[in-house]
Amino acid sequence: MIDEPWTLGAESVIYKIERWGQILLLKQRPKKPYLLQAIDAQLRQSRTSRECKMLNVARGLGIPTPAVHWVDRSSFTIAMDYIEGTRLRELVQDVPPKTLEKLCVRLGRLVGLLHMGDVVHGDPTTSNVIVDRIGKMWLIDFGLAEMNATTEMKGVDLHLMKRAFETTHWDIQNEMLDAALTGYKQTLGENANSIIVRMEEIRERGRYH
Amino acid sequence: MSIVCLGIEGTAHSFGAGLVSSKGEVLSNVWDMFSPEEGGIHPREASRHHSDLGPKIIGEAIEKAGVTFENVDLIAFSRGPGLGPCLRTTATVARTLALKLSIPLIGVNHCVAHIEIGCLESRFEDPVTVYVSGGNTQVIAYAGRRFRTFGETLDIAIGNMLDTFGREAGMRFPAGPRIEIEAKQGRNYHTLPYSVKGMDLSYSGMLTAAKRLHSEGIPLNDVCFSVQETAFGMLAEISERAIAHTKKKELLLTGGVARNNRLTEILRGVAKRHDAKFHRVTPSLAGDQGAMIAWTGILQYQVGDVIEVAESQVLPKWRTDDQDILWRGE
Repeated sequence: MIDEPWTLGAESVIYKIERWGQILLLKQRPKKPYLLQAIDAQLRQSRTSRECKMLNVARGLGIPTPAVHWVDRSSFTIAMDYIEGTRLRELVQDVPPKTLEKLCVRLGRLVGLLHMGDVVHGDPTTSNVIVDRIGKMWLIDFGLAEMNATTEMKGVDLHLMKRAFETTHWDIQNEMLDAALTGYKQTLGENANSIIVRMEEIRERGRYH
Repeated sequence: MSIVCLGIEGTAHSFGAGLVSSKGEVLSNVWDMFSPEEGGIHPREASRHHSDLGPKIIGEAIEKAGVTFENVDLIAFSRGPGLGPCLRTTATVARTLALKLSIPLIGVNHCVAHIEIGCLESRFEDPVTVYVSGGNTQVIAYAGRRFRTFGETLDIAIGNMLDTFGREAGMRFPAGPRIEIEAKQGRNYHTLPYSVKGMDLSYSGMLTAAKRLHSEGIPLNDVCFSVQETAFGMLAEISERAIAHTKKKELLLTGGVARNNRLTEILRGVAKRHDAKFHRVTPSLAGDQGAMIAWTGILQYQVGDVIEVAESQVLPKWRTDDQDILWRGE
């Protein structure tokens, strides 16, 4: 039934399976022998439950996310919809600047919707954004997402998005960030400002001064 | 014809001088670490240490290399990032030598130097580097002509966290080695806050919790064990995220905290899972020392990246990704 892994992520192995005439993804969090067993078990457990829950919470806030079909807690596996499309990370190189700007504005709006619901994604990189065939934008990978988010947590979330632009799309990072923040402000209005200020502050921390 | 560079390092607690040839031979590498009887590092006291011991350390480096000042072709110094007073003392020494000997002066980024000396030793070409020390916790990889920071601490550095906890437990600076010894005797894991955000992490929460465990009378070896497992587990996760993201096939561990054997074991496991080669930089080249500055100085000199004395002001907040890396390809 399960063949070769489809992709190997940092903390998961993903399989593609066919069930009920449709393609599903199995996201499994395997054991990591190099970590302390107690920590590893706790992480696999909490990330699996968290991802399952937060995919639903996010959808309730108006963000397209894959639907969860079942969860196997004994093998730390989630079965969810397979979203056919292209990751934003790959699209960045292929689309004209105007299209990229529009995509980033939409990403900013989706992150804004999450934050308006006091949820942070936890890993908002361009690898975790999928654009499907009809141009709909989906967010995936909610294993690090959190509820009851404070301004600090939202600031960190924006900082992580900025960091992803900086390390992966360095030649157009400024355009992408400007567009994403435009979309973010469209959703959050004036509430966006304090969070954007916090994002800038966070960047300056942790350094050797 | 081989050239010889004298590298001078003094960004924080250590002052070092090393001589390296353009063939990549480390001719000498001498340093001294400022370690106060009690408490942590005060920038002014550390800079005093550097100005007091600097000339002697440089003299020893020259002597051990079996050369004279006349054989030195270049002076490289740690221009940043680091503690202002320490950087200024070091820069003054470097400028004086460059002017006196009439040879080029090169300003080197401390973090970049850690990576380049690690690559020299490991023969790695394009690694994901985990740089862990008293002042830095960064996961760095090369992309688009810069060394880019993929992940780092959002608050305090791992070494700083270990030192601060150690001070609380009555250990001398640096506390890392002592904590490692204690942790080996620890058996019981006590849960500490595990805080990973994307490819960044945070240590201040677990530091507070670890101090509390200690004050509640939990055996020190169990607290040290829990601190190490949690802190290194977080680091493993962000390293793994960086490898999965960049798809690079080499993992390099460097910085003062690279001496820790448990951390090494964990990261070796991470590399194995992703079919990546692993290398831990030898302690004598992993800590803060002059050879790394000298070697990076040579790489910069070969592409004409030198500075005038008048423009050689120090850069205490110099980010790793702020420098165009002219000596590496696309």
